[in-house]
Amino acid sequence: MKHVIVRWQRGVPVYALPKITPFFVFLCGMGALSIALSAYREWAGLGPTTGMNDIYAWGIWKTFNTMVLTGLGSGGFSIGIAAWIFSRRDLHCVMRTAVLTSLVAYFSGLVALGVDVGRPWNFYQVLMPWRWNPHSPLLEVALCMPLYACVPLFLENTPPLIERWYYTWPRFRPFMMKHLVPIIRTTYPYVIALAYALPMMHQSSLGALMLLGGSRVHVLWQTPFLPLLYVWAAGFLGYAGVIGVLMVACISWKRPIDMCILGVLGRIMSWLVLSWNAFRFLDILARGQIGAAFALDRFSLLFWLETLLLIGPSVYLLWGDNRRIPSRLFQAAVLIAVGGMLYRFDPTTLAFTSRPGAVYFPSAIEVLIASGYVCLAMAAFVLIAKYLPILPAPTSAWYDMEHYARVVHPDWKMEIHDLSHHNRPNLAN
Amino acid sequence: MEVTRREALRSVVSKCVPVATAALVLPEARAAETTSQPKAPVGMLYDATLCIGCKACVVACAEANDLPRDVSLDGLHQAPEDLNAFTKNIIKLYKPHDQSPDSFVKQQCMHCIDPACVAACPFKALWKDDENGIVAWEPSRCIGCRYCEIACAYHVPKFEWDMINPKIVKCELCRPRLAKGYEPACTSVCPTHAVIFGPREDLLSQAKERIEQSPNKYFENRVYGEHEAGGTQVLYLSHVPFEDIGLPDVGAAPIPARLNWQKRIYKFLALPLLMYAMLASIMKKNWIDHRREMREEEERTGLRPQL
Repeated sequence: MKHVIVRWQRGVPVYALPKITPFFVFLCGMGALSIALSAYREWAGLGPTTGMNDIYAWGIWKTFNTMVLTGLGSGGFSIGIAAWIFSRRDLHCVMRTAVLTSLVAYFSGLVALGVDVGRPWNFYQVLMPWRWNPHSPLLEVALCMPLYACVPLFLENTPPLIERWYYTWPRFRPFMMKHLVPIIRTTYPYVIALAYALPMMHQSSLGALMLLGGSRVHVLWQTPFLPLLYVWAAGFLGYAGVIGVLMVACISWKRPIDMCILGVLGRIMSWLVLSWNAFRFLDILARGQIGAAFALDRFSLLFWLETLLLIGPSVYLLWGDNRRIPSRLFQAAVLIAVGGMLYRFDPTTLAFTSRPGAVYFPSAIEVLIASGYVCLAMAAFVLIAKYLPILPAPTSAWYDMEHYARVVHPDWKMEIHDLSHHNRPNLAN
Repeated sequence: MEVTRREALRSVVSKCVPVATAALVLPEARAAETTSQPKAPVGMLYDATLCIGCKACVVACAEANDLPRDVSLDGLHQAPEDLNAFTKNIIKLYKPHDQSPDSFVKQQCMHCIDPACVAACPFKALWKDDENGIVAWEPSRCIGCRYCEIACAYHVPKFEWDMINPKIVKCELCRPRLAKGYEPACTSVCPTHAVIFGPREDLLSQAKERIEQSPNKYFENRVYGEHEAGGTQVLYLSHVPFEDIGLPDVGAAPIPARLNWQKRIYKFLALPLLMYAMLASIMKKNWIDHRREMREEEERTGLRPQL
């Protein structure tokens, strides 16, 4: 087996591939279907279209699309903290993938939340602070999550767009250099800091939501540390999500994979998972509820399923060279993602003990809408990755892309660099 | 080493601001944790030993609140199975399989002294009256998030699932009737006075009097709602275990007290702002390093650096 060591150095668009593929059409079709079904849901009400009821008043739109998938899409937050705050400079090359994943995940979660609320026309009150109940965790989520998605997360995603305009729109270049670049230069640290403060707030508030569920949330999950466990889980879920996105994207678009960087991500993720699990066990022990873990009812089995899905792959990744072998890293990341998502889902639904006889199972329409918005998020990611330099690649891939662009788009003026630079390969050959 | 005025100022500020914030926030935050009590709380006392299960209160409630009659059972009888979008008040029968005594039970909003639904509601659509302590719902503020249904330990707020303009349906202790000087509909029609209306203080002392007069008649010789979840304005007496007639063991602490740490952390947004300031100061330093590295990278490769 031949090993080629690849280093990811810059974002390079997935160029020279058709934008409209059967898969992309499928994603858009699912998205269109979910938009149509959402319109039907607004017209028909929640009862006829969903499986929700007065006991299980929250369905998968809130508990999965918002509470789980924004956790999985927290890479921009969790990898960003490592890259920017803890100065892991090697991780900067995956930041564009991470913040784009976060952006599409957050927007699809927020749209699902909008479909879920029963009286959306009263939502204008977010702009009227005197009507806020400042102690409601849901208010915190309702303010903080859209604010994060629309301001710092959106701004974090603008550099690739500006970069594309820089190359493809020469008339824009002077304006950009004169006005945009200085603004970005001075405000960027403050935007980035906001991009980490806000998720810490709303990802923990997502956990705080279930505090008011009181004894209806099973004792293995209900703890005063629920907010901390939720934001911590968002931390490792973000890593798992970005590892998955990077590997799927690179393999399906036949781009080189840098197992050194992915291995670093895998290692940080594993330690986050193990420390999270240790904290969770300590919390359960301190509350004296360890007996519930061995009750052998469906809750204890669920608890051990989560624990095994998280601890097993983490230990496996820290073992020897496992995290530098693509297939092993990918499988472990998927298992950790499933385990973490299960943890964030359980307090709201599977470990939400309620009246005997009460059941919730999502209806077909509910599942179609939920998956349709996920498909829209994926479609957006696929399209953006083809237009903008998002996915990381070796510098040689950038030169290839430049060469291609000079042939296909001679008007783009790609050759803006110092052509006589000593390190620059001669593209004429 | 010379310390410039700017550096000295910065070091003083960086040490004083967190201390000052903590000093400012913590006492204030603790003060916020005691909930304000209504001035003259009114409520109901339901005595399960007196209830004959005639359901006159169920019909009277539906009529007074203009609720459509729930005849979903057989299309003939107004016999709802549970509290629902058409039913703010219900009489249920607890009938054990063994020979132990059975009991009717009335269910409606408990009008908690410190209600979980009010703590949950993001836009104060559910609000507690300062005067009489009634927990009521304001349609122009509700966004239909149904967090109240998750938070209520008694499963009281119900949602109009089948409506295009859905409302939260729950007992409001007949507020419009009280304003006109009437009693709530359910207490006014009860033939055996199993449920009576009055100020909470009076009802509580009356309940204790009943317990005193016939000791060991009532379960554990206590009033449900005196201390449950910080106290409720609807009080219960029962000869069967409370848990059996759907009155859960919720502990003595108010449910919103579970959010005390959240309240402390978010008081005046001081700690989040402090955290933001900390992150921003680290970022400012790292940003300068990062830009220097980007410039070096550009010199080395001749490629425009990427952010």
